Amino acid sequence: MLDILDDMDRPGQTGYLLLNDEGAVLSSSGDLENDERTAATIMGLINLTSQVDSKAFPPEEGFKKLSFVYDDHCYIICLSNRKIHVVKKKLPTDIPSNIV
Amino acid sequence: MEKKLETVMDELIARPGVVGCVFADHQGLCLGVTGKASDDSAGIIHAIAEEAARLEPKSKPPVILLENDNRSCIITTTGTVTGAIFKSIN
Repeated sequence: MLDILDDMDRPGQTGYLLLNDEGAVLSSSGDLENDERTAATIMGLINLTSQVDSKAFPPEEGFKKLSFVYDDHCYIICLSNRKIHVVKKKLPTDIPSNIV
Repeated sequence: MEKKLETVMDELIARPGVVGCVFADHQGLCLGVTGKASDDSAGIIHAIAEEAARLEPKSKPPVILLENDNRSCIITTTGTVTGAIFKSIN
């Protein structure tokens, strides 16, 4: 199953990490191969985001997707089946750098 | 400074889908809050922005986007100020 995920062709993908719910690296490839430091930072961020504004976001709702957008690339993080999927991908250059 | 931030917050809250926003300084202290958001979250949004900047210390801080089916939150840092914008998707 993990091999199938590794081989999946996602357009623009330059790296991939699969973590368990304790933050251990189960699988990795590309730019994020064996990147324990990124894995630790991402786990810290997931723990922090569970406490974001309780007035604007009811705590029972939680988040499904977390993205970190840089000028030319981004990290997209999704939680599924008690595993954390992290994809690093290149962004098309024609979108504005400031998305806000 | 406060007047300018208030103007920015008024402009933001008037945008479609925006339900609230909060701004924090370099210590995570609340600079301003408007709409459906709590000043208690200034510290946490600053902590999230600081932790995210550690992902790639050589790049400029990323724009952080948190999403679920109904809502989204955008966190961005400019200079020493961190801002969070809360949006409702419906």
